[in-house]
Amino acid sequence: MAVYESDLPGVGKKFEIDLNDESQLVVVIHNTGKRELFLRPEPNADSEKLFELSDKLARQVGTIMEGAYFQPIQTDTIETVISEDSLIEWVKLTDDSPVAGRTLRDARIRQETGASIIAVQRGDETITNPAPDTELRPDDTLVAVGSREEHDELQAYVTG
Amino acid sequence: MAATSLLEVGIMLAAIAIGGSVASRLGQSVIPFYVVTGILVGPEALGRLTALHVSSGEFVEVLAELGIVFLLFFLGLEFSLDRLLANRQRITAAGTVDLLINFPVGVLIGLALGWSLTEAMFLGGIVYISSSAVITKSLIDLGWIANDESDPMLGTLVFEDLAIAVYLTLMSAVVLDSGDLADVLTDLVVAMGFLLALLAVAHYGTSLVERLVAAETQELRLLRSAAVTVLAGGIALELGVSEAVAAFFVGMAVGSTSDSDAVEHLLMPIRDLFAAVFFFWIGLETDPAALVATAGLLALLVALTTPTKLVSGYLGGRSYDLDARRSFRVGAGMVTRGEFSLVIATLAAAGGTEVLRDTIPSVTVGYVLVMSVLGTTLMQYSDAVWDRLPAP
Repeated sequence: MAVYESDLPGVGKKFEIDLNDESQLVVVIHNTGKRELFLRPEPNADSEKLFELSDKLARQVGTIMEGAYFQPIQTDTIETVISEDSLIEWVKLTDDSPVAGRTLRDARIRQETGASIIAVQRGDETITNPAPDTELRPDDTLVAVGSREEHDELQAYVTG
Repeated sequence: MAATSLLEVGIMLAAIAIGGSVASRLGQSVIPFYVVTGILVGPEALGRLTALHVSSGEFVEVLAELGIVFLLFFLGLEFSLDRLLANRQRITAAGTVDLLINFPVGVLIGLALGWSLTEAMFLGGIVYISSSAVITKSLIDLGWIANDESDPMLGTLVFEDLAIAVYLTLMSAVVLDSGDLADVLTDLVVAMGFLLALLAVAHYGTSLVERLVAAETQELRLLRSAAVTVLAGGIALELGVSEAVAAFFVGMAVGSTSDSDAVEHLLMPIRDLFAAVFFFWIGLETDPAALVATAGLLALLVALTTPTKLVSGYLGGRSYDLDARRSFRVGAGMVTRGEFSLVIATLAAAGGTEVLRDTIPSVTVGYVLVMSVLGTTLMQYSDAVWDRLPAP
């Protein structure tokens, strides 16, 4: 891969990056901080403008592309990583969930799955640190903390 | 001369703002619109209808001078001697062709009209110098900035920047002095000495310049850099040197310091404001009747100097190893004349003869109006034009 840098007097700098095929990516960094991205399909073609970014946005996108902005995690649910093997996940109860209608104590979630329920979201209300006699209802969302395996267990346990 | 009232300044700024808005709505360069705005609200148009108009007082003139100073200051700020040297073979090739084709054409037209050599030299400069501001903006707007044709265009503009600095030095020594040859020579020596001193400071005195402009707060940095620039311009003018050239060198000096970006950011709004007033003032000074009177000369200039830029730009593109189509684009792009032609005309207006005082400024206004619109349009449709040209 070759990168060509050139000055654009009065404008800023231009970087031309050879891509794997014949095409080139052209990045123009304006003195104002604005970045413009162009794609040149082949060496003799005109550059087609892809998009432009502000200085700040360009830096953010840059770090994401570098892989430094955050570590992407393969997942199809919402989750928040606390440490390497503990994360917070949300799981929504359905009408036919085996735990619906039971209290938190009777549902025996921690004993069965290892995950701890730290909050229950019910409509607009959030019950934080729910007591053992809190009744779980259909459409509640359980907020649980645990390892990835424990979350898998929880998911299977509450959806039945 | 009557004092300028605050109301007049308000009208002036409002008119400039409206002119600029119209230009951007139409996708055109703002420069011709500022000039036309000046003509419209000046004494010859609005002034004939109502007492409420902007008259060309000393106040507006000083603001316009500040516009010239800051325009050239920014030119210096962006100008890099290192860049010119690093790429010297190609830039010199394209730049020399540009100079050798376009400048003599203007001079020859002047001489053919029976003008003196000095008058003809002014015409040469006016038709030679392309508009950095308009061309650079069009390059960005059209997306050509990412293409290969931007290199010869920007390179040629850099060459022209340096040429204009030398040219203004010579011409101001000639114009600002009405005495005999010995006086002119003395002035030229003083001018060159002053400029060489500035150039030496720009090149070797980076730390000194840095100490002059560097400050703890934004406010102080703004005041200091503006003060240095305007002072250098003012002193230059007192010594019979072009204030524009002095500002150019101060810009170069500041450009090589680490404060360059900060100063650029701070002074940009100031330049935009005063440069707009400068173009407006040009319009204000223009008598529409004189514009009409020079229509024939204008048509001649447009007819002769559009092809010369097309040819020199084409050759410049070829010297950068571009293909024919792209080289033609370079030519089309260089057609636009603008701010520097007006700066030259302003200098000419200080001269003693009727041609310098009246004809050249009037025809230059018309010329810049036509060439900036023609140039940007030609650039937009360069591929269509190229396709219609007979195959070489």
